[in-house]
Amino acid sequence: MSSDIDIHHLGAAYTLDALDERERMAFEAHYPSCDVCRADVLAFRAALAQVASAQTTPPPRALKAAVMAEVARTRQLSPLLPDRVSDLAERRRRRQRTIGGFLAAAAAVVLVLGAAVVLGRGGEPAYATALAQVLDAPDGTVLTLEPSDAMGAGASVKVAWSAQEGMAVVIADGLPATPTGMAYELWFIGSGDPEPMGMLERVDAGELHAVLDIDGDPTAWGVTVEPDGGSPAPTGDILFLGAA
Amino acid sequence: MAPNTEHALRPLRLDTDLRDMGVLRLARASRPGRDAAPKPGADPLGHLLARAGRGDQAAFADLYDHLAPMVYGVVLKVVRDPSQSEEVAQEVFVELWRLAARYDGTKGTVTAWAATMAHRRAIDRVRSEQSARDRVAREVSNVVLDHDDVAGTVETEVDRDLDRARVRRALDRLSPVQREAVELAYFGGHTYREVAVLLDVAEGTVKTRIRDGMIRLRDELGETA
Ligand SMILES: [Zn+2]
Repeated sequence: MSSDIDIHHLGAAYTLDALDERERMAFEAHYPSCDVCRADVLAFRAALAQVASAQTTPPPRALKAAVMAEVARTRQLSPLLPDRVSDLAERRRRRQRTIGGFLAAAAAVVLVLGAAVVLGRGGEPAYATALAQVLDAPDGTVLTLEPSDAMGAGASVKVAWSAQEGMAVVIADGLPATPTGMAYELWFIGSGDPEPMGMLERVDAGELHAVLDIDGDPTAWGVTVEPDGGSPAPTGDILFLGAA
Repeated sequence: MAPNTEHALRPLRLDTDLRDMGVLRLARASRPGRDAAPKPGADPLGHLLARAGRGDQAAFADLYDHLAPMVYGVVLKVVRDPSQSEEVAQEVFVELWRLAARYDGTKGTVTAWAATMAHRRAIDRVRSEQSARDRVAREVSNVVLDHDDVAGTVETEVDRDLDRARVRRALDRLSPVQREAVELAYFGGHTYREVAVLLDVAEGTVKTRIRDGMIRLRDELGETA
């Protein structure tokens, strides 16, 4: 984990995909809100695009046919939200199957949620400081939630937490807009029913950073789309899920 | 699992509870600035991608023709194995198709987006496949990398030659140690920590070489991707 002094210097290594996972996550948390690093990433990526464009190799002839055949049977992601399954019962059945699969693999550990939520402000944002604290803790854990097929790889939700520090940091990026009246909701999944952790309102760039106080170790995290104001239990498809 | 207070059960309202705390404003302010965004129409592939995003497979086939030599070239350079590279390149294109409608022009050109995705996928492939130690051992005898791969299909040979000459000139402006560190990271697929092991120098030294090298490259190549 780099110190705060170093983090502004990681843009080059980040765009080269040369950071390890922890540093990459810390930098991804940092750079969208840092004018200097954001400009670095854009400019370094533009330069690397030129390096890449000078690195051409004729692809195998069969590749195009294979790509186009796959394209013909691959559903594109909507710029907005994935279609919602109309049959509530079917949705619920599939959700329970998904959650059950993770629970079978995960030890049932009780997590009691604290009430306080602290989110970052400008400058060196609180979430970046919190993230450093979490990642530096001996039990600090980083989890990239698995996107469902409906979400695709462009959207990501990562959670870092430390039971010792009593803190979880959520970093979401590239989330598509939700329909009017709907919003993303974060779930802690433990031994019992999923517990609501809060609503992740779509922001312009689809980015959101949240710092949550936790008390205990989670077993899994999930994200669904729910009506504004949140649901006491998930009703939408699980869009992201990760077992701790 | 029982929450310790009634308050804890209430779903957090990030929209209302947190707006006062400046978070949403922060996230909004974090978008790339308008000055940083490419000018509309400046990206020749933008229109093709937009059509592809509306399900136009013919447009996507055109996009493939423009991007495939670059995507395959980058993936092959990193992955090395042609049949694996073909698989990875296919994954990249199917992903470009799936995500076409979500492309955000403020975060770079279509080419830069595809190059980023191709490199990331190639890196994922090599890092999941082999331990870093194996790759370091394999690479020690192969530090020098070439830049003279053959040309592609759509752009004219002249365009490609000009591109390559320009990039080669830019790379030549890097100091030998900067260039070595940047190439081991980008084409070798190594983290900077691995590069430090490969070159037997301090991690901080490698970080500095990579950063200085990329700044030089950026200045030499300008911001037109
Ligand atoms: Zn910064």
